[in-house]
Amino acid sequence: MAAERGTAAEALVGQVVLPGDLLLLPAHYDEDAEGERLRLSGGTAPQGRLLCGPGLRRSGAGLLVTKCGLLRHRPGGGGAYWVDSQQKRYVPVKGDHVIGIVTAKAGDVFRLDVGGSEPASLSYLAFEGATKRNRPNVQVGDLIYGQFVVANKDMEPEMVCIDSSGKSSGMGIIGQDGFLFKVSLGLIRKLLAPKCEIIQELSQLYPFELVLGMNGRIWVKAKTVQQTLIIVNILEACEYMTAEQRKQALAKLSGN
Amino acid sequence: SCIIEERSFLRCEDLVYGRMSFKGFNPEIEKLMIQMNSKCKEEKIEEDDKMEADVSDEEMARRYETLVGTIGKKFLRKRDQRVLKNDDEDEDDEVEEGNSNPRPSKRAKKMFLKPQD
Repeated sequence: MAAERGTAAEALVGQVVLPGDLLLLPAHYDEDAEGERLRLSGGTAPQGRLLCGPGLRRSGAGLLVTKCGLLRHRPGGGGAYWVDSQQKRYVPVKGDHVIGIVTAKAGDVFRLDVGGSEPASLSYLAFEGATKRNRPNVQVGDLIYGQFVVANKDMEPEMVCIDSSGKSSGMGIIGQDGFLFKVSLGLIRKLLAPKCEIIQELSQLYPFELVLGMNGRIWVKAKTVQQTLIIVNILEACEYMTAEQRKQALAKLSGN
Repeated sequence: SCIIEERSFLRCEDLVYGRMSFKGFNPEIEKLMIQMNSKCKEEKIEEDDKMEADVSDEEMARRYETLVGTIGKKFLRKRDQRVLKNDDEDEDDEVEEGNSNPRPSKRAKKMFLKPQD
């Protein structure tokens, strides 16, 4: 096999990478097999634990790109590289919080549609305060906000609505009314970024409630139907609007 | 060297919690928002604010030292307990677990007897 010459990972951060590109990592990540030699020179040598995120795969000396997108890097905590790609179809990943729609009740287990290739299963005991006698009141067609506890390509995904300490912390059945719609996964990640301008600007408009699922689904509820629809339209459109266009649109709305 | 493969964006980027409420629409979720988002930033500070214990650490250590011995005695065999009784002054007539060796048998262990053909 002809070995391709890769390029240094640091040089490509923030640039478009295509599948098949090989990224070389700095030398101190390549020491292995014989034992870890402690570098007394210290300096900026990180702990050696590099996180290889979505869109990248380990291959020999470096990382192989498997999705096209922008390469991102996070220096803190040992360093992390990942590819910021755009897609609409969700693949269940363990630990992700998603919105699911109940499609069937099969005995003790609910089947939820999360937008993946298979329906996820959710046991009735996975709610806060649920016991065999005290079952949660879940009907077909309800919306549920939960996280994945098992999600790999070999097994059916499983969800729970409690976290590791047994508390629901916001997960569970999402209430009545409101509006559910689907956007691309990249927009969800943009909205969930720590200081998202879109969310901050929207929060100035009217009181509303928002639930974002990592599977591309967003649920919005505001006081009146018209306000709900306005928020829905802004969220759907803001993916393709620039910041100025968005501000203009919001200014028009708050003027009305 | 360790390169960990991760398929979730949650570990790479610093994403906030997905459930939000604004301008007091849902007060419980607003409380949750503050709690969740401050958890990420102030994890270290939370660990320092431990509740003051009623019993100090030293007392706990001393108590556990003697506790281990007391509970350990419960599970000793009869023979060893008799030995211990002679050493100790207080006599605990505790019934030990399972051991129903008749007194006259002097065997410490039950040996495996080969079947006699």
